[in-house]
Amino acid sequence: MIFLENATKYYKTKNGKKYILKNVTLTLPEHTNIGILGRNGAGKSTLLRMLGGIDFPNSGKIYSDKSFSWPMGLAGGFQGSMTGRQNVKFVCRIFSRSEDELKKIVEFVKEFSELGDYFDMPIKIYSSGMKSRLSFGLSLAFDFDYILIDETLSVGDKKFKKKSKEALMKKIETSNVLMVSHSMNDLKSICDSGIVVNNGEIVYYENINDAIDRYDEINKG
Amino acid sequence: MAMIVVFSVIKELAGTTHTPGVEYPLFLALSFVAYNMFKNIVFKSMDAFSANKALFVYKQVLPFDTLISRFIIEISLSSIVFTLLLFIGWYIGLEIRCDNILGVLLGFLWIAIFGFSLGIFFAVLSFFYENFGKVVKLIFLPMFFLSALFYSVESLPPFAREIIVYNPVVNFMELIHGEFFLTLDTFYVDYMYMVFWTLVPLFLGLWLYKSSQRKIIMS
Repeated sequence: MIFLENATKYYKTKNGKKYILKNVTLTLPEHTNIGILGRNGAGKSTLLRMLGGIDFPNSGKIYSDKSFSWPMGLAGGFQGSMTGRQNVKFVCRIFSRSEDELKKIVEFVKEFSELGDYFDMPIKIYSSGMKSRLSFGLSLAFDFDYILIDETLSVGDKKFKKKSKEALMKKIETSNVLMVSHSMNDLKSICDSGIVVNNGEIVYYENINDAIDRYDEINKG
Repeated sequence: MAMIVVFSVIKELAGTTHTPGVEYPLFLALSFVAYNMFKNIVFKSMDAFSANKALFVYKQVLPFDTLISRFIIEISLSSIVFTLLLFIGWYIGLEIRCDNILGVLLGFLWIAIFGFSLGIFFAVLSFFYENFGKVVKLIFLPMFFLSALFYSVESLPPFAREIIVYNPVVNFMELIHGEFFLTLDTFYVDYMYMVFWTLVPLFLGLWLYKSSQRKIIMS
């Protein structure tokens, strides 16, 4: 369960406050994969970051007793001057994994991401596709109640896309996904329910198709 | 390293009087290691937040951690450099005799902490006001000459002594030099003044940091 209690989040701009959440009270049920829909700039990524604990509402509360992964986005979460291997080790260590587990995770990520020699080169020379391969492989190595995905599925070549989707489908048997995506096909195949973010309001739909219909309406009007 | 050689040669050519019991290259080594450590801690702290922004996506990583890690790196680096320089000095036959090793260690540790407190204060300010960092770097330019790195306060004319001790770095340098060399003393070191310069920026910095930690993570 994820609870939002009178949560308000805004950004200050020259033309006054721009609201992303306006006094939202909402409870999201457990054991469902939720897709987040909304237009560009509506605040989908911010919502995801707030759930991941690295962004905070201006007032009100967002809380949950579940564990969340870091938001996996295109921006990555990697230190550019360190190699892929070092970054994987770093993440293992901040999640306090033992040295044995660490070795396993490193091997797993190396194999999954298919980076080859690039795995031992600095992240800053990676292409964005390579970065997201690494970040996706890394996220699969940990167990969270919720995996937060910010449009990472839409990168990479065809073969890797297929592979990562299969791995993700396997993963969501044991954990849930909260994902932001503009690809309706991905949303339909992965998510069960959806939320639509629009003008400071969040509406929860039990069926992802209803959410997509609502999102289409917003786009038209 | 190059600096030490250059300044030693200049001193030799200028033919100024030697202070007895003071090996000038060693004097310079102490100054430059301590000063560079101090300067690097301040400068690296200022860049710490923006350089490690990508790592804030993990909620375990707080901006403060980046300051700590850079602080540790700089101290370790300086220790290695200093050991290396001492070894070279010993190899070329300098007389290395330390008067009060605990006093010297205190000086090094204290100037590192002083750098850290200035660092955290400047780091928060320069994160929100980009130009602030540039101003700090500008202020540091003349510091190289005004910090008693290659001369002692004793060797200056009396009116200059009174002015230059207002520079906190001079106090630290005098402390390190005075404790290392038997024939130099720490007469011009004002401990209260050093405490003031260490604590005030530290608490100001911590307070500023505490109130803006979330903003730094969010950006």
